[in-house]
Amino acid sequence: MKKFFIALISVLLLVGCGTTPSETTETTTEETVETTESAATGNIFVYTRDSSSGTREAFEKAIGLEELTADAIEVSSNGDMITKVASDVNAIGYASLSTDFSNSGATPINFEGVVPSSETVLDGSYGMQRPFSYVTRASGDFGSDDKEAIIAAFVDFLVNSTEGLQVVQAAGGEVDLSKSTPWAELKKNHPIVDQDNSSLTIVTAGSTSVEKTLTAALEAFQPMAGNVQFTINQTGSSDGHKRTLGEEKDSVNAADIGFASRNFKDEEDVSSALSSGVYCLDAVVAIVNAENTAITDLTAEELAGIYSGEIKSWADLGK
Amino acid sequence: MREKMKAKMQAKDTFNNALTYISAGLGVLILGSILVFVLSKGLKGLNFDLIKSNYWSENYLATVEESYQTNELNDEHSSAQGYYSTKWGIAIDDTLSAKGEKQLEVTYVSPNSPFAHLLNATAGENFEKPLKMHTGYTIEKIDYMTADGTIGLAGKILAQDAKTTIETLDKASTITSVYFKSAGGGIRGSLIATFYLIVISLTISLPIGIASAIYLKEYAGPTKINSLIRQGIETLTGVPSIVYGLMGITVLFPVTQLVGATTTSILLGGLTMAVILLPTIIRSTEEALLVVPKSLRDASLSLGATQSQTIFKVVLPCCINGILTGVLLGIGRVIGESAALIYTMGTFINDNPTILSQGTSLALMIWSFMSGENPNFELASTISIIILAIVLVLNIIVKLIGKRFAKQFV
Repeated sequence: MKKFFIALISVLLLVGCGTTPSETTETTTEETVETTESAATGNIFVYTRDSSSGTREAFEKAIGLEELTADAIEVSSNGDMITKVASDVNAIGYASLSTDFSNSGATPINFEGVVPSSETVLDGSYGMQRPFSYVTRASGDFGSDDKEAIIAAFVDFLVNSTEGLQVVQAAGGEVDLSKSTPWAELKKNHPIVDQDNSSLTIVTAGSTSVEKTLTAALEAFQPMAGNVQFTINQTGSSDGHKRTLGEEKDSVNAADIGFASRNFKDEEDVSSALSSGVYCLDAVVAIVNAENTAITDLTAEELAGIYSGEIKSWADLGK
Repeated sequence: MREKMKAKMQAKDTFNNALTYISAGLGVLILGSILVFVLSKGLKGLNFDLIKSNYWSENYLATVEESYQTNELNDEHSSAQGYYSTKWGIAIDDTLSAKGEKQLEVTYVSPNSPFAHLLNATAGENFEKPLKMHTGYTIEKIDYMTADGTIGLAGKILAQDAKTTIETLDKASTITSVYFKSAGGGIRGSLIATFYLIVISLTISLPIGIASAIYLKEYAGPTKINSLIRQGIETLTGVPSIVYGLMGITVLFPVTQLVGATTTSILLGGLTMAVILLPTIIRSTEEALLVVPKSLRDASLSLGATQSQTIFKVVLPCCINGILTGVLLGIGRVIGESAALIYTMGTFINDNPTILSQGTSLALMIWSFMSGENPNFELASTISIIILAIVLVLNIIVKLIGKRFAKQFV
């Protein structure tokens, strides 16, 4: 009896070991996915982001959604969204265009017949886009003059310099390089970058969507500005203004530069900031599971139908 | 009739036995599948560099030493992987970083190459000091000038792969500046932060926990207040850790401010963890006190020792095993905790954590990059292997120490 069960368990374990690698090979062979024109026919599983997400705001605004279906499943981050949609054939979700979709198991689809790409985002024809905005603390509220000078230099680097825009672009942000100035020229206004700044730390807060472009820009800025240090504490767009100029500006979560993956709202007054604006554009794309190859294009109306719960299954689409 | 009943009983017994075997087997199966998942995903990322290197890359901006600028090398290609530039004596390959991003990795630098004779262009103490490109570093961007004076760029920031980068570089006649990075993706900072966290939380919770266990077990009479205290401590075990996190940021943050903390910090995380560990340590110490034989106490008391002397010199040393079990459970809890620490330590992966700075423990580090744009299962699994290994080693050490002490006193 005992021996039998031990044998059974070991067999089950071996089966477990055996299937894990073969499963991964199945998903990586793209041929099988391409050749089978498989349409998901079941009920649509609607995935959405948490309510503090700038991506969600951009998406819902773009499709004109009035009320989200109660069946929608909330996920906490862009990465989580990709993982969920990639593991569910009937799923629909949305993510930043800057996400690397290769081998992720989720595919971006067209919006109103327009392919999501840098060109269509910059010329404005692709509708689902949003700005990455930044706001700094108020002038004179940085604790030291050096800190204020280095923040001003970084913002100039991030927004106006060729070098900064190139880095942001490489990290997935949509920028217009033709309007940039070489850093060698801009640098003249910022003598602070020619001294040792390793004791200064730039603290950022706000949108998590900006993290990739922001990290790349800070890393590139570091050796150009006397090895300045940085701490990136991204938690969500609503914290961008709050932690630099709002109620949390002197709290434990205080930051030097706040980011939002949307324009700052009317109640978020940025007039007292040292500097504020938009440093790049980002597009939101609707995504479906990679095996759901029948869906390639959805209109704002269709997406609104799906997200409000009027369209419940893939078969109902286009009726 | 009796035969029939016997057969029925037997069937029932077999069923019951089978149920226990299957249940136990299921537990083993789950543990096995966790191990298989973690090992299959994370084993290939596991190496010594991971432990000793930083998470963030070192960023370098450099210019080329004047005397090496126009050097025509025409070196033989080494056996290194990737694409080689005979003109500049550097080989580059397309690889994936530990964070799962595409990168241009330097696989070979000729000793005479201009890239082996760079000057640091970053302001500060190392300004204009010599700098050398090592293998394993990644090229971000190279500014160059062609013979006719046009300025050009090459590297990852231009979305070039290794082949195009080398081809572009071969057109250059002088190199203006190079932006490159060290590898990164290591867990050294998080290991140190985890260590700090364990030390802080244990130094606070151990003395308090042991002392309260002694009070509850040895001194406290059966009064209402004492039973209320006991009840309270038992309830603490069931409080979700996220509630402790909220308590930490509101109640304990002012305490850390007194010693100079300005943001959430490892000290705050450690204080919060100390509160979380208290019930665990009290309970395991109490259980250890319970099993000390009455004859030992009686012998001590009859020799004229006071009650305090008996407790601290006779009873407590016998409990070392139980206390160590509490310590082990505590360390396990600290390593595994994430919810309470997100609020109290921040989620920024810090390579040089100090007690008053933000930092991430290993579990928090997993949370930090799994919540990013591209969740990195491989690195998460690799860290999981390290966490499992640390817990296993701790387990063995505590068992060994416990055995030695147990022999001494029983």
